[in-house]
Amino acid sequence: MRNWIVVVLLASLFIAYAAEKVGPSVELNASAAQPRQVEDVTEKAITRDYANAWKIMETALNENRTDQLGGGFAGIAQDKLQKRVEDQRTSNLRTRIIDRGHKLEAIFYSPEGSALQVRDTAQLEIEYLDGSSVVHREQVTQSYLALLTVGEDRWKVRVLEEVPRS
Amino acid sequence: MKVRIALTMLCVISLGALAFADLKAPKQATAGEGITITASDGGELLLYGPGGASKRKVSAGEVQIPGEEVRAAGHYIAVMGDSSADFYVVAAKPSTLNFLARPSRVPVSRPDAISGVAFVFDDFKNLVQKPAAVKFDLSVKSAAATSRSVETKNGIAYTRMPSASKEGAAQFVASVPGGTPVRRVVQQVASDACDLHMKAQKTEKAIVVETDPIKDCSGNAVPDGTIVTFTEVTDKGRSTVDARIKRGTAKAELPLAASGTISVASGVVTGNELHIGGGQ
Repeated sequence: MRNWIVVVLLASLFIAYAAEKVGPSVELNASAAQPRQVEDVTEKAITRDYANAWKIMETALNENRTDQLGGGFAGIAQDKLQKRVEDQRTSNLRTRIIDRGHKLEAIFYSPEGSALQVRDTAQLEIEYLDGSSVVHREQVTQSYLALLTVGEDRWKVRVLEEVPRS
Repeated sequence: MKVRIALTMLCVISLGALAFADLKAPKQATAGEGITITASDGGELLLYGPGGASKRKVSAGEVQIPGEEVRAAGHYIAVMGDSSADFYVVAAKPSTLNFLARPSRVPVSRPDAISGVAFVFDDFKNLVQKPAAVKFDLSVKSAAATSRSVETKNGIAYTRMPSASKEGAAQFVASVPGGTPVRRVVQQVASDACDLHMKAQKTEKAIVVETDPIKDCSGNAVPDGTIVTFTEVTDKGRSTVDARIKRGTAKAELPLAASGTISVASGVVTGNELHIGGGQ
């Protein structure tokens, strides 16, 4: 009986850990990618690494930390996020994102396979904070254009831009 | 009684003022150009955007947000008290390119062998999502340039071009109107050997085989170091020698034999065959 309790506890811990590790839910449809077809392995890697990048961004904006940004972002996207977090810290502001998931559509995959552009339709609940007080809250379906490039061991977000709602 | 009425009216007026406290912003702005937000009351204005965040005390009326605070394209939200206003900043005009040219080395006369991908940004490193024309030029010295104009889709323009028939360093240039052209070098090298031909000479110890100068079908010399394989098949078995092209030709020594066949190949290209025997 005691063994069973230990097994159940360990399984629960593992599930909690896995859920924490994976980040928000991300679905990728790569059927329309041009000019190169996205390989199955790449699809899985993009899904995993994009989810990870959002998790990193959400932590950074909520806790005003920049130390993890390089794990999911590179180049322009990293620079902009870094600046935003630093500004938030200076003004004692924060942004909390409750992530309800992302539907990605791959629209461009470079011929040599090093850059992939996706259109992301994200379901988000965003809380804007001044200190610890929520000053504004919104639930949005926001469209993003993201450009990911492959690095040494993972894909990183190099451009992440909101698309104006029509 | 009069005091109570006056206080009540004051409360109503104050509540009315609070209810009407309002923020107004244009729905869209251009990166780096600054915007004006109209506040119906004074207070602390918070601005959250994709590339920054700020807090400032403002008076009722027009609040100028300077261009440097709205450089990043994306969604912004201004909050003051219970009021908020949101707006989008879109990229300014195209000015810079990130250009990927592949491969860095390519055989001549290959259709669609060279690919170019240009990512179009404005001065503030925003991806320009509106369509923009990107010009791709591929040129090799002493040959006419190949040009192509491609409109961006979601900030990206892509093209494929054939390699030229002449070897050399090709200049592959991408440009947008008003921006600085970006240059990449694609080394175009001779393609596979064409009309591979060898001759053989019998000596006391071996059969010496040597090719004619090896060129591709456009007349470019196949680079030194390229492997050429000579194969001799006799009734005693098969002998194979891999030789590298040196100063335009490849040379090898094969075992002496009374009769048999010698063939030559480079990559997937096969050359002539020589028959040994009968006094040859």
